[in-house]
Amino acid sequence: MSKTDKKAGSETLEGRDPELLRRVYEVMVLTRAVEDRMVAMYRGGDLLGSLYTGHWHEAISVGAASCLRPDDYMAPIHRDLGAHLWRGMEPWQVMASFMGKATSPTGGRDGTLHYGRLDLGIYNLPSHIPANFPVATGMAFAAKYRGEDKVCLAFCGDGSTSRADFHEALTLASVQSLPNVFVIENNQYAYSTPLRLTSHSAKLSDKAVAYGIPGVTVDGTDVLAVRDAVGEAVARARAGDGPSIVEGVTMRMHGHAEHDPADYVLKELYEEYSKKDPVELFENVLLKGGVLDDDTVKKVRDDARQLAIAARRKALADPMPEPSNIEEGVYAD
Amino acid sequence: MPTDTIPGTPPAPVLRSGPAQELSANPTYLEAVGAALDHEMERDPNVFIIGEDVGQFGGAFKVTKGFLDKYGPRRVVDTPIAETGFTGLAAGAALVGLRPVVEFQFADFISCAFDPIINVLARHHWRTGDPMPVTMRAPFGGRLRAGPTHSQSVESYFAHVPGLKIVMPGTPEDAAGLLISSIRDNNPTLYLENKYLYRRLRATGPLSMEPIPLGVAKVVHPGKDITLVTYSAGVHQGVEIAQELDKEGISVEVVDVRTLVPLDVETIVNSVKKTSRCVVLHEAAKRLGYGAEIAATIQEEAFWHLDQPVVRIGAKNTPTATSPPLEDAIIPQPAEIAETLRKVARA
Repeated sequence: MSKTDKKAGSETLEGRDPELLRRVYEVMVLTRAVEDRMVAMYRGGDLLGSLYTGHWHEAISVGAASCLRPDDYMAPIHRDLGAHLWRGMEPWQVMASFMGKATSPTGGRDGTLHYGRLDLGIYNLPSHIPANFPVATGMAFAAKYRGEDKVCLAFCGDGSTSRADFHEALTLASVQSLPNVFVIENNQYAYSTPLRLTSHSAKLSDKAVAYGIPGVTVDGTDVLAVRDAVGEAVARARAGDGPSIVEGVTMRMHGHAEHDPADYVLKELYEEYSKKDPVELFENVLLKGGVLDDDTVKKVRDDARQLAIAARRKALADPMPEPSNIEEGVYAD
Repeated sequence: MPTDTIPGTPPAPVLRSGPAQELSANPTYLEAVGAALDHEMERDPNVFIIGEDVGQFGGAFKVTKGFLDKYGPRRVVDTPIAETGFTGLAAGAALVGLRPVVEFQFADFISCAFDPIINVLARHHWRTGDPMPVTMRAPFGGRLRAGPTHSQSVESYFAHVPGLKIVMPGTPEDAAGLLISSIRDNNPTLYLENKYLYRRLRATGPLSMEPIPLGVAKVVHPGKDITLVTYSAGVHQGVEIAQELDKEGISVEVVDVRTLVPLDVETIVNSVKKTSRCVVLHEAAKRLGYGAEIAATIQEEAFWHLDQPVVRIGAKNTPTATSPPLEDAIIPQPAEIAETLRKVARA
């Protein structure tokens, strides 16, 4: 298991904007509520295939996305519902994607975890992750080409770090000094493959040494530790100083997808991480720091649950796509 | 070397005026590719070229010689050896408004970018509605004695994939006009340059920089007895053979399809309806080569007009050999093509 570099993270709320902290918390709670609702939908047979969730990834996905400006670009993966919601993706659109509905971001042409919206600066990835990494270098390249100070934040998992796309994207981004931030969500397993069979590095961020760029590993269950590290990397990229790697260490608390009982996972890992729910951890920090009180917590959680319920209702009622135009759009005009 | 690298400064469209390369009076196929690329980069500041050794070195075949001086390193981007990486980079840049031109040093190396081409570029528009204007240039083909992994014809790998356009010019004039259309197209376009033709074919005069629409075939040698459907190096080869066969009283109509996707079925079928006999020729291996698609389309569209089955000529189903007698035994030779045309025309 990766060790983390020391980062202040949630040890102090000093100098942090309470409004922003509340928003980060709300989106993390909403992410959890939507995914819990979708697990129920999977079990109830509402969804087409399997369901890929990001339980215990909320701190990484929301924390990292919260460091971006609205005009920045993002290339997330299937554990990053929180990052999508932060940027304005609607929960019902995500549900519609897992149901193949006409109202999904791809109108049912693609589906399940393949959603994104370029109008929100979010690349819609194919299955071949981290294919989103080279694409992210291109978005960053375009920003630099035009003299804009936008950055592109890309996410991948521990498993993705073995692929050529990862190496080629990092090589290109570093030699071209592109405004990229690469976040590795180390959740210990690539489907059933444990980290020890994926990497011999002490930390996945050690790979940064090979590219001559900064790399840092933080506790991926501590949203403020993620925000601090990604914020620093974003600032660096925006200033024209090139890309960085930020690794967040967490645990995949569900299977690779909901069909997967994940009985290959070490019990001790589940035990260790069951005490490290990123949403609860952050909630306690905010309660202790006086940013939230019990009533607000209850309201945020209730609102999120109701929003998820309403999203399911809308997605269920939405129409399925018509096949009449299926051959249109293979080519752009 | 130019130093156009200050952050926060939009790239100067041109650092030096005038053409990137001086053209000869009768430009070669190679010069035509370079001149068209130069024309589009000068015209549209969103167009840039990216690939291995394209900058200071001017590309392995010198298509981009002089480009770095004229456009600077932001628009003439030398990459590490990372085909997956720079093809994916082009996709990302295209999604947010640039018009990348990717150079693969040899078409053989495009297999290293198969994944992003198939899974990222080709299907993105159908999935999302976002345009993906990426032009991928790749020198392909044999006869340079370059062996099994430097001589491949790759068009059929990609013709099966929805969402890609495939352009294969056979003349310097088409090389220019079709490259311009490819760059202006909002789709991922594979533009395959026949490297054997680079310095062997010359334009008949100064080149036009008018775009030639994709999906329009051309009758390059009119005839009435038999149709030869071909593309790329098959075009000048076919015309030379047609001129020979004219003397024997066999009138061959040579149709250059110019773009495989989209395919101009109408021009092919009209010619076959007129001649009632057809041979399809390409340098790629015969089995599942693009000729199979053309032959099948002809039998679907013009079966009752045919006096003879459509015959395909392609390379043997082997890798391309290095040694001249071996390579010549694999790639279709003029004598074989002429003999096949005679046989089908007289049958």
